[in-house]
Amino acid sequence: MKRLESNLTNMVLSLTVVALAAAALLGGLYVVTAEPIAKQKQEKQQAAIISVLPAVEGLTIGEPETLDGMTLYKAFAGETWEGTAVEVAENGFGGTFKVMVGFDKEGNVVNYEVLEHQETPGLGDHMTSWFKTDKNRQSVIGKSPETTKFVVSKDGGDVDAITAATISSRAFLRAVEKAYAAYKSGEVQAVSGASILQQEAPAAGSGTEADTEGAEQQPINDTQL
Amino acid sequence: MKPLIVAPAPHVHSGDSVRKNMLLVIAALIPAYAVSVVSFGWGALITMLISVAACVLTEWLIAKYLLKEQPTIGDCSAILTGMLLAFNLPSNLPWWLIIIGAVVAIGVGKMTFGGLGQNPFNPALVGRVFLLISFPVQMTTWPLPQGFKGSYVDAETGATPLYYLKHLVKEHDGSVVSDLVPLKDALFGFMGGSLGEVCALALLAGGIFLICTRVITWHIPVSILATAALFAAVTGWCGALPEGMCTSQYVAYTLLTGGMMLGAFFMATDYVTSPMTAWGKIVFGAGIGLIVMIIRTWGAYPEGMSFAILIMNACVPLLDKIRPQRFGEKVKKQQPATK
Amino acid sequence: MSKALNTFTNGLLRENPTFGLVLGMCPTLATTTSAINGMSMGLATLFVLVCSNVVISLLRNLIPDKVHIPAYIVVIASFVTMVQLLMQAYLPAIYETLGLFIPLIVVNCIVLGRAEAFAAKNNAGLSALDGLGMGLGFTLSLTVLGAVRELLGSGMCFNMPVFPENYGMLIFVLAPGAFIALAYLMALIQKLMKK
Repeated sequence: MKRLESNLTNMVLSLTVVALAAAALLGGLYVVTAEPIAKQKQEKQQAAIISVLPAVEGLTIGEPETLDGMTLYKAFAGETWEGTAVEVAENGFGGTFKVMVGFDKEGNVVNYEVLEHQETPGLGDHMTSWFKTDKNRQSVIGKSPETTKFVVSKDGGDVDAITAATISSRAFLRAVEKAYAAYKSGEVQAVSGASILQQEAPAAGSGTEADTEGAEQQPINDTQL
Repeated sequence: MKPLIVAPAPHVHSGDSVRKNMLLVIAALIPAYAVSVVSFGWGALITMLISVAACVLTEWLIAKYLLKEQPTIGDCSAILTGMLLAFNLPSNLPWWLIIIGAVVAIGVGKMTFGGLGQNPFNPALVGRVFLLISFPVQMTTWPLPQGFKGSYVDAETGATPLYYLKHLVKEHDGSVVSDLVPLKDALFGFMGGSLGEVCALALLAGGIFLICTRVITWHIPVSILATAALFAAVTGWCGALPEGMCTSQYVAYTLLTGGMMLGAFFMATDYVTSPMTAWGKIVFGAGIGLIVMIIRTWGAYPEGMSFAILIMNACVPLLDKIRPQRFGEKVKKQQPATK
Repeated sequence: MSKALNTFTNGLLRENPTFGLVLGMCPTLATTTSAINGMSMGLATLFVLVCSNVVISLLRNLIPDKVHIPAYIVVIASFVTMVQLLMQAYLPAIYETLGLFIPLIVVNCIVLGRAEAFAAKNNAGLSALDGLGMGLGFTLSLTVLGAVRELLGSGMCFNMPVFPENYGMLIFVLAPGAFIALAYLMALIQKLMKK
């Protein structure tokens, strides 16, 4: 078979057919894979949050809240609050890095995960595992900023800095302190949030009273908006 | 009977040779090395010995068994590379790291390209940068001056002035000024750092000796130091320095600490890897001065001298095109500008 | 039969995309931080190569000369997007490391190069063999390069520790080490091929 001649009709026709076929194929595949991809993404984020939180059965993550540029993810087992994961950004040696720090009910660091960073390879980038390693005084796991001074030992604190990367270490500990402050102020809301949940539960079941209250409040909300 | 050599002009030989130049550079390095031995004791001796021996041996082995040609270690260039490599290493480096550095310097940096005269990059710096990127912890744990006390691997270590300088500018934090060594100590070499970079005065003396004996010209060192000083001064004038540090102090620290002197006089001026024309040399030096200050101010590593020199080494073939002069052509007197 | 065999082995050795033709350097340098990563990238490219070669060979007489490049690129890009979607959905761990480089297969010179040089002139069967050979050659070289870098850089081979990580030369995991390792491997292979 001879190759098609390069005239306008042929060119337009062949390009259109190729493009349409490709579009149809990809569109079909997109529909098929859309669900697994969304699931993967969500699972990944959930896994990152879960990995820094206490190992409790049936943990669910509440809606993310933002506070001073930090994101708080509160975790509940059933209706009891079990801990909070705080995503915090801080200036390191090579630029801004992001870390997810998880605290339990008592305010102890459960785990942390460095999400992104630009620290020097082989020096500052050891922060991804350094402060989890139980050696000398370098681990922060299981410690609370209340009882442990989260400052490098060189500056009179209780945590050993990464070898030859003091500035990165200082920045990391600063990030944990910041996360803890956010956790502290978030805790109050979490407790009140939980208490609201507990109050609402019987209220919803008790019928008429709650209903009339709701009806009265509705118009006020509208005018405020 | 000697064979009759027929060669084109010029026929007069000045008696200059690779070997003679290398020996002069080695001589110029001796005062700085003497200070290092006083400062760092056994470490300075051991590091130098391993580095030079490994460089010479590597060159001999590669020339003899891989390239199968007459080994050229007699020209002393491998000894010089070994010395410069040792000058660029902390004096408490484990012995096997020094050997890796020497093998990379000679094997990758020099012999891969065909030996002396063919290498585009300064071999000693190739070795140093390879080690710096591969083993950053060991390469940035600098021993403090301690003389011959104690064993060499367990030397007390500490941050170098550059580390504080960077923190000072980047974080605008004046609290570290007190951690800096006094300028006097930086001048005489009583501070932590790589083996040969600590004593600015001895390096300066060696550099001036090289310029006086016409082994190197003034263009590259002067343009590197001037550019770096200007950059530091501008940093100061722009108000980037915190309380407790004035512009002139910052300029002095910039010039006297880190690899600035060593790089400007001994590393950047390597014949093979620097431009040949005067203007080329000045642009080359200015480029190094600029890059080193950019890395020192904003980069991820505290010192950028070796990176700066390697980057500018790569530009040399282009810089050689700046106003080249035909061999034997008389220098034209510049026409007075008409107004 | 000998022609088919020849076509297949061509990409494996004589015209090995990485060490012989020096094509597709971007994924070669960027993704070979470990043997597994190199192999995954190679296999993804292999899939795209075979599919695009077959389709382009089938369409070769239906596409007028003047528009053949846009048409080929659309075909290649479709297959690359398919790989990307499938990987994202079912192999998320590998997608995480290679994600950035998967879309770049579109502009990988090998794929368009084989489409132009081979698939546009030969029948579908031969084109498939050519794609397979080239793809396997690419996979092989990326795996070797990845293995060398992984071994020297972190002291591991296919994630199995060989010597303590402290002795690994970090530079080989980073970009400069990719260039150094590639250059020496290429020199070695050229020397062996000449014999």
